[in-house]
Amino acid sequence: MRLIPKPGGKALLFLLVSIGAVMNVLAQDSLRVDSMLLSNRSGVENILQGRVAGLRIKSWSGTTGAQSTLNLRGLSLDPTDQSTMPLILINGVPMIAGPSNITGINPLTYFSPEQIERIDVIKDIDRLAAYGVQAPNGALNIIMKEGKPGSIHVRANAYAGVNFLQNMDYKRDAFYDFNTTARRDVYGDGGMINDETLLVDGAGSYGSYLFGLSNHQDKGIIKGSGFGRQNLFLNAKYNITDRFSAHFYNNMTLANRNGRYTGEYSRDLILPVVGSEEFFMDKNRNLGLISSMGLTYLLDHGITISSVASLSYEGSSRDMYIPSNLLDGDIYASSAAYKRQLITWNTSVNWLHEFSDALKMDMTLGGELRNTDDRLTSVNGQRSLENGGSNFVKVVTGYNANQTIALSNHNVEKLSSFYGTWKFRYKKDLDVNLVARADGSSLYDNKWAFYPALGIHYDLKNSLSIPVKINAGIGKTGVLSRPEVYRGQLDAYGDYYGGNYLGIGELYPAFSGAKSIGVTQIDAGVTVALGSVLDLTVDYFNKTYSDFTYQRYLPNINGIDYIFETGGKLGLSGVEVALDGNWIHSTHFSWTSNLNIAFYRNKVKALPGDIENTSLAYLGAVSGAPVTSLVAWQGSAEKRIGNSAPRAFGGFTNTLRYRNISAAFTLTYAWGQDIAAESFNSRYDAQAINYDFPVKNAETPYYFIYEGANNRTIYQGIRTIEDGSFVRLSRAAVSWHFSSISKRIEALSDLEIFVRGDNLLTLSRYSGINPEENITGSRRYDLMYTGTPLPTSVALGIKVVF
Amino acid sequence: MTHWKLFITGLCKQYFVAFVRERRNGKRQILTSQVSRFTAGVILAMALLCSCRKSLTVEQENSAVEEGYYQSAPRIQQSVIGGYVDFRRALLANYAWMMYGEARAGDLKVAVAYQQQVSSQKLTAPDENLVQLSDWGYFYDVIKDANDALDIIDNAAEGVLSSYQHNVYRGEALALKSMAYFYLARIWGPVSSAEKNNFGAHLTRDEVVKQAIVYATEAQKLVPWMLLNDDGIESAALTAVRFNKTAVTSLLAQEALWLGNGQNAYDILTNTFTSNIADSLSGFGLAIGADRRMEIPQAPLSPNILSMPLATFNAIYPAGDARRASMFNISGNSATLIVRDASKVDLLPVREIDLLFAEAAWRSERLEEAKEWLILAAGGATEDYSTLTEETFGNALLLERQRQLVGTGQRMFDLIRFDKVPSYIPVFTEADVTKGAAYWPLSANSIRGNGWSQNAYWAIP
Repeated sequence: MRLIPKPGGKALLFLLVSIGAVMNVLAQDSLRVDSMLLSNRSGVENILQGRVAGLRIKSWSGTTGAQSTLNLRGLSLDPTDQSTMPLILINGVPMIAGPSNITGINPLTYFSPEQIERIDVIKDIDRLAAYGVQAPNGALNIIMKEGKPGSIHVRANAYAGVNFLQNMDYKRDAFYDFNTTARRDVYGDGGMINDETLLVDGAGSYGSYLFGLSNHQDKGIIKGSGFGRQNLFLNAKYNITDRFSAHFYNNMTLANRNGRYTGEYSRDLILPVVGSEEFFMDKNRNLGLISSMGLTYLLDHGITISSVASLSYEGSSRDMYIPSNLLDGDIYASSAAYKRQLITWNTSVNWLHEFSDALKMDMTLGGELRNTDDRLTSVNGQRSLENGGSNFVKVVTGYNANQTIALSNHNVEKLSSFYGTWKFRYKKDLDVNLVARADGSSLYDNKWAFYPALGIHYDLKNSLSIPVKINAGIGKTGVLSRPEVYRGQLDAYGDYYGGNYLGIGELYPAFSGAKSIGVTQIDAGVTVALGSVLDLTVDYFNKTYSDFTYQRYLPNINGIDYIFETGGKLGLSGVEVALDGNWIHSTHFSWTSNLNIAFYRNKVKALPGDIENTSLAYLGAVSGAPVTSLVAWQGSAEKRIGNSAPRAFGGFTNTLRYRNISAAFTLTYAWGQDIAAESFNSRYDAQAINYDFPVKNAETPYYFIYEGANNRTIYQGIRTIEDGSFVRLSRAAVSWHFSSISKRIEALSDLEIFVRGDNLLTLSRYSGINPEENITGSRRYDLMYTGTPLPTSVALGIKVVF
Repeated sequence: MTHWKLFITGLCKQYFVAFVRERRNGKRQILTSQVSRFTAGVILAMALLCSCRKSLTVEQENSAVEEGYYQSAPRIQQSVIGGYVDFRRALLANYAWMMYGEARAGDLKVAVAYQQQVSSQKLTAPDENLVQLSDWGYFYDVIKDANDALDIIDNAAEGVLSSYQHNVYRGEALALKSMAYFYLARIWGPVSSAEKNNFGAHLTRDEVVKQAIVYATEAQKLVPWMLLNDDGIESAALTAVRFNKTAVTSLLAQEALWLGNGQNAYDILTNTFTSNIADSLSGFGLAIGADRRMEIPQAPLSPNILSMPLATFNAIYPAGDARRASMFNISGNSATLIVRDASKVDLLPVREIDLLFAEAAWRSERLEEAKEWLILAAGGATEDYSTLTEETFGNALLLERQRQLVGTGQRMFDLIRFDKVPSYIPVFTEADVTKGAAYWPLSANSIRGNGWSQNAYWAIP
């Protein structure tokens, strides 16, 4: 078998090596997608659930097209903050991966898992520091499939299935208390899922090509809603000369999601029963584009120059109309558009050099520009329904101008970086990695920050004849502190003299000390290979996040409310254990398992002085305790009532193959996480109850304090505090390869049918439907961060490769 | 920064070495040679570009940053208007100007629940509106705005402001600051200074007013009788909602009288209000408008909100007083102030000038002249003020001020100034007043970080 065609083969091989070295970062875990247990749900993150020690994918919502939360050794002050999300790279270039606030559609649905060759998980500091402030919380590098040698290959994959809710108890639904009758009508079994992907590829001396298209539709379990995505893609490499080559990658996606009023939002309904949603509209439409172009030139003496330009663009729009029968006589309409773009340009020089037979060096020096440009425009309005006329007519007649609010916001951010990585290899035993990166950000007056790292990896196999690898690393990254504060901010105070004049003043003064949050990370790990059967990896890490930007409230004679300062320190440490068993591997039978578990602890290590007069005052009660603590008031004192972060989490995957049949399943689990649910009944204006809680029907003695309308103080009672531990059969599949047919038909390489299920069984004592349904760990009164019930889905599929 | 420049230079050198090596290799094809040159050039350009600080500075189009904003007269004017808007919030939020004035003194009722507590002097009751009313932060916001505006005006590039604009804006900022301090002293007595030279210093009530007089004195010289609108034409409507010479003079006279300096007030008034300026007189009020940060009353003088019980009305304006009909509408059991211009809340009305003259003359031992001014001011009154004596003049003047200035929020301050609090607010004894009962308590926010403790009267649990 010829792996690489001879003409230009050497060049191609070298090209692959050098492209891989563009960022010169090797992954810690590398998951080949073709051998993974995939998911029926859209969103690439779902296939990673339970597969990587320390990567927590939380299936918080059953709403189709929603992104599961991703966390890879990430921590921030705010548990709802997307900044804890790992950096997502496509072929090494960053993409806009967090869902927009407008549509909530998950950008990780923009491509099919069938397009992906492998996913590299990067979490050790000596690999991560090369990304600087872009990747304080790990990185996932998604490497797309490329054309394989041969003139043409065609592969098609399709599956179809249904969603359903097992033993749905409506009273366990978080939304139930808001709208008891309507909730029953909202959910329905039988929402279809279907997915089709077609890939065409080939490779030769000219380079390689791969193109295709994919369609995914998921109606979910909320009637009348659904998510759809279509994309076209191209991944091509062209050898311009034997030394000079170009790489083009393009993926363009149209995604849509239709929402339903009683299904998904506005939990604060005044009307207890919602009537017909005949005229209700919630249309979400996204256009996602990921495009990159790379040029690589091979010089002599092992030097390669690469330059990759990329753009990641997302246009989201949402059009919404709520008729008067839902709003007690008012109608509401809004339209919003959010355009996000990320342009990067990364140029580097790579030098592979052998000092001697024993000592080799792989050095990369590069520069990167990153330009983020986000623009939001929205209009919304509300008006009362006049007597007579239908709801529909009122849409046509439009808004009362005085009740229309328009907003346009534009944020631009620039990052300029230089980096160098030096990888020294001594014999086959020792690797020493050095990283230095400097990031200059438009967010700060003092632009530059420096991130160095050092990592040592030693294989004891040769010197001590024991199958153990050890590694240790130390280094620094950072988190960009948003928004820009260093130039001070003016605020429009109000209108004067019949609206002819605008009065403005200082909201806060310039803060020249603004800077990134510093993240210092220490890693240590050991991998033991027990024969060819078992690999045990134990990794320890310790991260310290310091210098958060916060507001310092000033004594009120200052005339402004606050200034900005930096300070505070959080710690996150953990042990990740992964056990890979390759128990049996024979021609007819194979059995592999992966068990991973991560034990994490986080802690508020230091707080600014006089914490009560800062925007971090809420951390006062958790000094020395986890920042993820659930803190509530009891009487007149704050008390920790739980921890929203699990003590441990992980997954277990088992794969069996006997002749043509394969069977696999993935369990995910977490334990030791607490969930506090706010009460729907025990919510009071503090003054009205004379600042005395609990009152008669409070379920627990604990309450949260919120600021309500017109600066009123609200006491929000807590109904329950529960243990959110669970074990879930996240995915399972059985597949059959028709090898006899593929042997008979020469052009046919593989034919497979499969049955696959998602979210098949959850064991938990949690009283709600899904123990992961709350992003923050506390279920709010308005259910702002609480998801809809997670459906089970079962699909039948076929895969054909020519 | 230096080491970063070195780093960048080092990087460029690295690229340059690669480039030179490439050139020395004669075997290279023309195309590849050009490409490498191009690539190296691009890298070099990029490195230089990135080293430029300016390339990392983004002009945020939707958020106004301080740097470089105040570069035109309209924008500098916005900073002055910001002071007015903050001043309006300080006085209109929670109907503060009434709560500090007539509502507390029991003359006018405001149709909000917490007014009951204010009129019954339960100012420390656990009510969030009262907490805000006892917070002086909004007044210090005005002082901050004024000081910022003064800095902005002083630092304006040459030619940005005309001399008229320079004088008016500066005068307005000083007058805003003076009036804010004056309110602080009258509401809370001793307060903090928020000036650069003595920031945070605890000042006695009289020290605060003296400081206010300095600002008003300077402002009086700068502001004109009539302000010009954007077209350069004198505008009475605009003048009525911004500080003008009439208003600042009234303010200055009030401040002097508050210190008991009748002669000084008399000099200020007589030197300023000469007979030839009668047509240019203008009051000062706050223009009604939307505050973008919070809800403030948009129709603060609406009949539904402010009223005077008929019994109180009859006691203040006895039968036969012409002001009963000219100033009030009587319906049912209450009397409502007639609002002639709903677009503003009057604070320093022109009609006060005669009363100020009367008081200044009286306090500077010119009783006869004082009586003339009072009679002139009190057109429509049933009383014969020509028979007033040194002893009776004070009460008569206080009564006329109560009648004439109703709705301007000055009543409680007058009671303090005339030392009549226990007479009109029987819940307070002389001893209570000595302890500080006439002033407002300090909110927790006003105490915190400012080194104050609750005043002796309100500190009593």
